[in-house]
Amino acid sequence: MNQGDIVMKLARRTLALGAAALLALNALPAAAAEPVQVQWWHAMSGVLGERVDELTKKFNASQQKYVVVATYKGNYDELINGTIAAYRAKRAPQLVQIYERGFMTMLLSDATLPVQDLLTQRNYQVDWNDFVRPVAGFYSYKGKLMAMPFNSSSPILWYNKTHFEKAGFAKPGETWQELEKQLYTIKQKGISACGSVLAGDYHWSLIENYSAINDLPYATKANGYKGLDTEFVYNKTLVVQQVARVKKWIDDGVMEIAGQGLSPEQLFTSGKCSTYFASTAAHSGIERNARIDWSATYLPWEQGKTPKNSTIGGAALWVLKGGKPAEYDGAAAFLAYLAKPETQVWWHKVTGYVPLTDKAYQMAKIEGYYKDHPTREIAILQLGRGTPTDNSLGFHFGNFTQTMFAQREEFDAMVAGKKTPQAAMDAAVARGNDVLRQYEKLNKGKY
Amino acid sequence: MGRASDEGLKRAHFKEVRLPVLLLVPQLGILLLFFFIPSLRALTQAFLLSDPFGNTVQFAGLQNFTELLASESYRNSIQVTVVFTLAQNALTLASALVLAFASDRIIRGKGLYKAIILLPYAIAPVIAGILWAFLFNPAVGPLAQLLHRAGIAWDPNRSGTDAMVLVVLAASWKHICYNYIFLLAGLLAIPSSLLEAAAVDGAKPLRRFFTIGLPLLGPTLFFLAVMNFVYGFFEVFAIIDAVTKGGPAGATNVLVYKVFTDGFVNLDLGSSAAQSVILMAFALLMTLLQFRYVERNVNYDV
Repeated sequence: MNQGDIVMKLARRTLALGAAALLALNALPAAAAEPVQVQWWHAMSGVLGERVDELTKKFNASQQKYVVVATYKGNYDELINGTIAAYRAKRAPQLVQIYERGFMTMLLSDATLPVQDLLTQRNYQVDWNDFVRPVAGFYSYKGKLMAMPFNSSSPILWYNKTHFEKAGFAKPGETWQELEKQLYTIKQKGISACGSVLAGDYHWSLIENYSAINDLPYATKANGYKGLDTEFVYNKTLVVQQVARVKKWIDDGVMEIAGQGLSPEQLFTSGKCSTYFASTAAHSGIERNARIDWSATYLPWEQGKTPKNSTIGGAALWVLKGGKPAEYDGAAAFLAYLAKPETQVWWHKVTGYVPLTDKAYQMAKIEGYYKDHPTREIAILQLGRGTPTDNSLGFHFGNFTQTMFAQREEFDAMVAGKKTPQAAMDAAVARGNDVLRQYEKLNKGKY
Repeated sequence: MGRASDEGLKRAHFKEVRLPVLLLVPQLGILLLFFFIPSLRALTQAFLLSDPFGNTVQFAGLQNFTELLASESYRNSIQVTVVFTLAQNALTLASALVLAFASDRIIRGKGLYKAIILLPYAIAPVIAGILWAFLFNPAVGPLAQLLHRAGIAWDPNRSGTDAMVLVVLAASWKHICYNYIFLLAGLLAIPSSLLEAAAVDGAKPLRRFFTIGLPLLGPTLFFLAVMNFVYGFFEVFAIIDAVTKGGPAGATNVLVYKVFTDGFVNLDLGSSAAQSVILMAFALLMTLLQFRYVERNVNYDV
């Protein structure tokens, strides 16, 4: 090859490269018309994960400008850890699903954008007052919704109809006192091996919601809504009597602990235990797996009390800082789509979570959905019961998960007979207050 | 013992500096990325009070440490860890020793015997944990039913002692094979002339084992004890998570599991970092103590 050839070859190659570059430049406007990707990390596995994929598919098909990419990042704990790591590395997704207990962590993190502002700035018409009160109440700060409620649930009482009928009861009693008598009768008559089974999240159904429904203060400052200097006080309320009752049931073999290696729900759906205090979100699992004649009703309350609303569990979608404006436009479009009654009704039906707005609830009702699925309405009616008080609107505690773990550990110690119910709750409150004080110290002046 | 090998090392040194450095770089790089940088970050985090997202950080001084030492649950965790590692160590070593000694006496099916003992090592810790949790589940577990029928009120969901027994069993079961391999090799290395001489003198197998085998296994046993401590401190996370989640009431909440729950579930990064620093120091101390006091009684000469 002589030099001329080489020069020619180089020239040709340069030309080709130039042409390619030109082509790429020409292609740029086309690329800009490509839909904007919005990253959404979630913790919904199994069937719920499939529903999430369906949801994003529906949204992506409903318009051309944005594509929401949903990614499963493990359970709630793994997801919040992954989010924190991604945020610190400046690679955070725009949308992330965070459990309800993480509310304060997210709120005071300086890492999020308030959802209501995001949508209002972009002129989305969302009727914020139409959100179910305990749902909006939980995720609101100073009257504004900070995160978009996504999967919200509330605990209800599941029961085995056959067991109750055999014992001569039409349905579970409304109060703890009546229910207790029934469960003991069922046990004495040998109808089932256990009257009830302790759910994995019993602290939520049997302690927190117990306080809300019976209108008992869980902590000072309206359960943390009115200040970081809130202090737990549930060791001075009927909660002590409630945990003592649960311990008595366990001691008497009326309540079973499923333990590791076994899901409590299985002990209910297999017909071994007669009742189960658990989330309405268990609908999808129980409807699929139960080979028993089951039904559900409201959580019991204390004799002589007028029951208040229960509180929610589940998770909300937070918008994280650090993205591009176009991505936030997409996130807002998706959140507005989520808030639509049609989306809400669909999500409610396919998952068992409650609809978030009254409009959505009415829509499902008018359709006659609850005639065929009466148990699906229980959580909604329970959440909407009466006017929420300071004791029943929800819980705003910093490091709520940590205080909950302390409470569970003390509850375990009580069940093991190492501590009296009063001593266990005193210790749980003392440990919880230490956690609250540390959070207050760190976030002074931010709330 | 050290002198001769030190000289050997010195004699084999490289004349040039570049090559050894080059050879060391990959290993040092890995250590830097996965050990030194994380350790340093843990060390700094231990003195901070911080929001998990890192936007609010306060210098806390020794607060994380003083709070830990004052906390009842942390002291409980230390106690649980000591009980757990000691029990696990003793059980693992004793069972592995019996098995290794027995495999010397087995003539038929030796391969199968060894394979069965080695199998648990190939099982993922989480699976092993769930297996044990299920077998001993008081509601449905077949082995728990046996215990109940024998009149034992077995309930690891409520009794801390039962839960501890269960995790010790699970963790040991998983680690016996590791001990077994080393002990078997150690037994095989014992000069047969010694054993034969003893046999000729009329020593029975048990006697031969205790007077000849065991003392000569000293170095192996010492090595395994150290390894078992390290295992008990750092590598039982998955088993604890699958069998008890540290419960009931913190009865099996070993230090390494507590580091995880406080850091990654409770998001209390400062405390978690302080705990991992203490854990590191604790493990170092234990190992040093073992080398200082236990090794004195180990005879390396055959």
